[in-house]
Amino acid sequence: MAWLVVRLAISVSLFYTASAVFEDQVGKFDWRQQFIGKVRFALFDTHSQASKKLLVATDKNVFASLNSRTGDLFWRHVDKTGPEGHIDALLMYGQDAVVVAGNGRLLRSWETTVGGLKWETVLDTGSFQAAALVGVQDFVKYVAVLKKSAISLHDLSSGSQIWVENLPDSDTVQYQTIYSGGNGLVFVFGVVPNSHIVIVEYKIEDGEIMNKKSVEAAWMSSLESSCTVISSGILLCVDQITQSLYTLLLQSAEQTEMRQIHLQTLDLEVASGFQPVLTSTQPNPAQPPLSEFFLQLSPDHHILLQLKDGLIVPLRDFNPSYLAAFATSGERTVAAVMSPKNDTACSINLFSADTGRRHLDTTIIYHMDPNGGKPNRLYVHAFLKKDDSVGYRVMVQTEDLTLTFLQQPGRVVWMREEALADVVTMEMIDLPFTGTQAELEGEFGKKAAIQDGLLPMVLKRLSSQFILLQAWLAHLWKLFYDARKPRSSVKNEVNIDTLSRDEFNLQKMMVMVTASGKLFGIDSKSGTILWKQYLENIEPNSVFKLIVQRTTAHFPHPPQCTLLIKNKDTGLGNLYVFNPIFGKKSQISVPALPRPVLQTLLLPVIDQDYAKVLLLIDDQYKVTTFPSTKNILQQLQDTASSIFFYLVDSSQGKLSGFRLRKDLSTELIWEVVIPTEVQKIVAVKGKRANEHVHSQGRVMGDRSVLYKYLNPNLLAVITESTDTHHERSFVGIFLIDGVTGRIVHEAVQRKAKGPVHFVHSENWVVYVYWNSKFRRNEFSVLELFEGAELYNSTVFSSLDRPHPPQVLQQSYIFPAPISTLEATLTEKGITSRHLLVGLPSGNILSLPKMFLDPRRPEVVSEQSREENLIPYAPEMPIRDEWFINYNQTVSRVRGIHTAPSGLESTCLVVAYGLDIYQTRVFPSKQFDVLKDDYDYVLISSVLFGLFFATMISKRLAEVKLLNRAWR
Amino acid sequence: MTAPGGGALATRGGATVRRMKWSLELSLGNSSRSRGDRQSKDGDVMYPVGYSDKPVPDTSVQEADRNLVEKRCWDVALGPLKQIPMNLFIMYMSGNTISIFPIMMVCMMAWRPIQALMSMSATFKLLESSSQQWLQGLVYLIGNLLGSALAVYKCQSMGLLPTHSSDWLAFIEPPQRLEIMGGGMVM
Repeated sequence: MAWLVVRLAISVSLFYTASAVFEDQVGKFDWRQQFIGKVRFALFDTHSQASKKLLVATDKNVFASLNSRTGDLFWRHVDKTGPEGHIDALLMYGQDAVVVAGNGRLLRSWETTVGGLKWETVLDTGSFQAAALVGVQDFVKYVAVLKKSAISLHDLSSGSQIWVENLPDSDTVQYQTIYSGGNGLVFVFGVVPNSHIVIVEYKIEDGEIMNKKSVEAAWMSSLESSCTVISSGILLCVDQITQSLYTLLLQSAEQTEMRQIHLQTLDLEVASGFQPVLTSTQPNPAQPPLSEFFLQLSPDHHILLQLKDGLIVPLRDFNPSYLAAFATSGERTVAAVMSPKNDTACSINLFSADTGRRHLDTTIIYHMDPNGGKPNRLYVHAFLKKDDSVGYRVMVQTEDLTLTFLQQPGRVVWMREEALADVVTMEMIDLPFTGTQAELEGEFGKKAAIQDGLLPMVLKRLSSQFILLQAWLAHLWKLFYDARKPRSSVKNEVNIDTLSRDEFNLQKMMVMVTASGKLFGIDSKSGTILWKQYLENIEPNSVFKLIVQRTTAHFPHPPQCTLLIKNKDTGLGNLYVFNPIFGKKSQISVPALPRPVLQTLLLPVIDQDYAKVLLLIDDQYKVTTFPSTKNILQQLQDTASSIFFYLVDSSQGKLSGFRLRKDLSTELIWEVVIPTEVQKIVAVKGKRANEHVHSQGRVMGDRSVLYKYLNPNLLAVITESTDTHHERSFVGIFLIDGVTGRIVHEAVQRKAKGPVHFVHSENWVVYVYWNSKFRRNEFSVLELFEGAELYNSTVFSSLDRPHPPQVLQQSYIFPAPISTLEATLTEKGITSRHLLVGLPSGNILSLPKMFLDPRRPEVVSEQSREENLIPYAPEMPIRDEWFINYNQTVSRVRGIHTAPSGLESTCLVVAYGLDIYQTRVFPSKQFDVLKDDYDYVLISSVLFGLFFATMISKRLAEVKLLNRAWR
Repeated sequence: MTAPGGGALATRGGATVRRMKWSLELSLGNSSRSRGDRQSKDGDVMYPVGYSDKPVPDTSVQEADRNLVEKRCWDVALGPLKQIPMNLFIMYMSGNTISIFPIMMVCMMAWRPIQALMSMSATFKLLESSSQQWLQGLVYLIGNLLGSALAVYKCQSMGLLPTHSSDWLAFIEPPQRLEIMGGGMVM
């Protein structure tokens, strides 16, 4: 018996050794794109002139360095998600970048050239307020961190704490900002709202409080955006209600009250309802800031002001202007201002900060994307040119999270679409046929054949053949033309106009919906963004559902996708209908949705334009149809009795099933209540609509058949216990028929915890949970069989299933945590299935379903061997060659999307998270394709050789026969 | 002297062929010929036209010959039956695994009886002279049928016959669903 097991194990292992990619296949059909997220801090490395570094910290807790010439990543550090890894501040001095992370928990210093960590210090608890570099005598030596109740000073080169001091009266005063002008003192500003400002002065050497004063400021509520320090220690504040600027000399003992300067005296006025913003600049932390500052009076009005001898002088008024920023190169500080030019473009100009005079020939034209958002952040990189004039480049961030890097006179150096760091949902759409293919399609379309007679059909046929010939000749000519060009320039440019389906439908359009409300159309072969569309006014917590109503198969009707956007707060939804290939908004009239939408249901019923019908169920369980033509309503009346839908309300622990009535209202037909005090429903999954199962059963060792229980209406419901104690927690799984509400099976995994990831497909459900008793991840598989006989082999009706299915279950230990789970999908379902497991390490594991088979025997028998069942082993193996993305790890993988291709052996896989990775997998290897290394030359030369040898020998034999006959 | 008679028509090779395609030699005495001709030279010269040096068979039917014919016919008729033990032995030796040799054996075993049954009429013609023609024919048929049955049995024991439900599994169409269902968590 033992040798049998060994032999089997060897044969199985041999079977799978070649599933990884070969070295020369790297990047051939896969690609990865890395993203960083919405930029919160961006700093240009001005340390040396030739530096190309751009340091960014983002809301995705990513700290990265970009190449400012190409936009590529030099390095990237991905911290923990959530508030634990939140980047609070980014400061840079020379080669060091100091980052405060995790709400002031960690202070880190990074070496910027290679991204290595220099030191890390754990700070005391307390919520973070501000951080600043502190310089002494032209040298920046320290970094000061202000928390809610304490201030600490750290050495910049080692991170060691110099001193930490508790702030006086920290329970009443809100300390918010910090300032140091290089004169041996650190100022901390706090505010008691609508009462007074507190200024505390610390000595750098030992943290001794040198001075503490409070200044009356009844109008002030927050310091952060309305106050700044300018010109050798003058606190400047702005208030909208009193329409005034206030100044306060920090180091004078006699001034106990802020000096008020009415904006009217400067002929200025703050727009009503707008909180004015002050922007100053401190080019060197060891020196006091400049006396020039920007005052933003309305969203598109900035003014450059200067404080001179206690008087505020306007230097230049920028009206209108969207954005303004300071930048310093060497000793010269400039201000860049973005102003609208016309409807589609903005111009950015450079002004000298101290005079407000415009620099000549410094205009950059920024063309706004008509499908994008408005610019909302401007980062300027100024540098000195050879002739000692100031040159600059800018990085513009827009509302739709596009980073555009521009240089004079408006050339876009690079662009990054950071919205893609947060993909919510996606679909893969077949590309349309080329014109010629479509011509053929049109010719043999059903409609055409009925309308035309014989002769027109022949003529049509001839003309389409002629067009095909023409296309082929054009293709040949292009080949010939390209062959003469140097190789590098031939690179296949993907263009939206030349987009067409390839031979095996391997190239598709990836339609991605991002959390920021930007839609993308990406070519799956190269990863090129072919179209993008920003939907404005999307609430940050909206829910999206993408539905493909019409595929490309119905030429000449364009494909049609519908995006349902539901606002979580109001519950109201709206539909956005677009063409997924070109990204254009469709002109079809969309039904108004006056009531909150609960769910949608895509019916296989099609209207005369071949669009599938979408049903939208509102909170009164009424149904809206889209499209809603007469034809559709007629069809719906006919089929209404067979349309069912289910709703799962996890807050009430209720599953309810409804049936559609002819008048498009609904009736409740079943309800399953899972008491919320014991367990809560965490997820529900049905089967994928485009899934095909080729084999209706499994062949047993004795050559009989075990038929699968393939209920298309089956739902897998996962629950988790409300009790989280590790001894009493459990994970439950219910298999419920969505039409009748019958509970087909239920299982409880005791001493188990979520998060549960699961896949429901064919006749099986695989789920992963955390076993809190043994502290390990476990896979469990449920498989349902009808038995040795089919109850009804022609039709499946949930209403007529007298026999319950046989359920088999087995569990395995999985030696790694997982972040997402998905199954491969192929055109006809002949290819064996693999599970794609996204690991937190960024790898994607392709795990054969064969290993997750509840029929795996504990004792090997003749029959189980005949069935090719692997003997049961509790440990699930992880082999390195099963990682489909080799070293192209996907950070924070959140979802995996699988789509069938035209080849039965091939499944397209897109993993998305912070990064996007696209590849193809071959679960049963490429049985329908010749291998890449197939020796065409050898085979064809042998064939031709044999052919000619036959010809020659035939001739020789003839001659010989003739000669013999003559003898 | 005419050509088909004693005159030798030199159509076969030899030194003369190189000069001319064929020639009629009237002087038969000459011995400047190829070896093959030379062997029969004496005969050609000695015997007149139409002479055959083989003894003319006695065409009168004898009783012993009739028995011989019967025996010969029975040999033909029993041939397939006689092969069966041999086939059984081969079957036993080749085993039930599906590999190239057993498959070849089975193919041969199945093909031979079928071939024989196809050329039944030819065999009947062969057996025409026998008095027990019909009986012999029947025996021959049964022998071949037995042979093919044996081949079928072999196929069966090798598992090549589609007799199990699993053999028809691939042809089962997925059942048509009568209900349309959808929905999900409340959005």
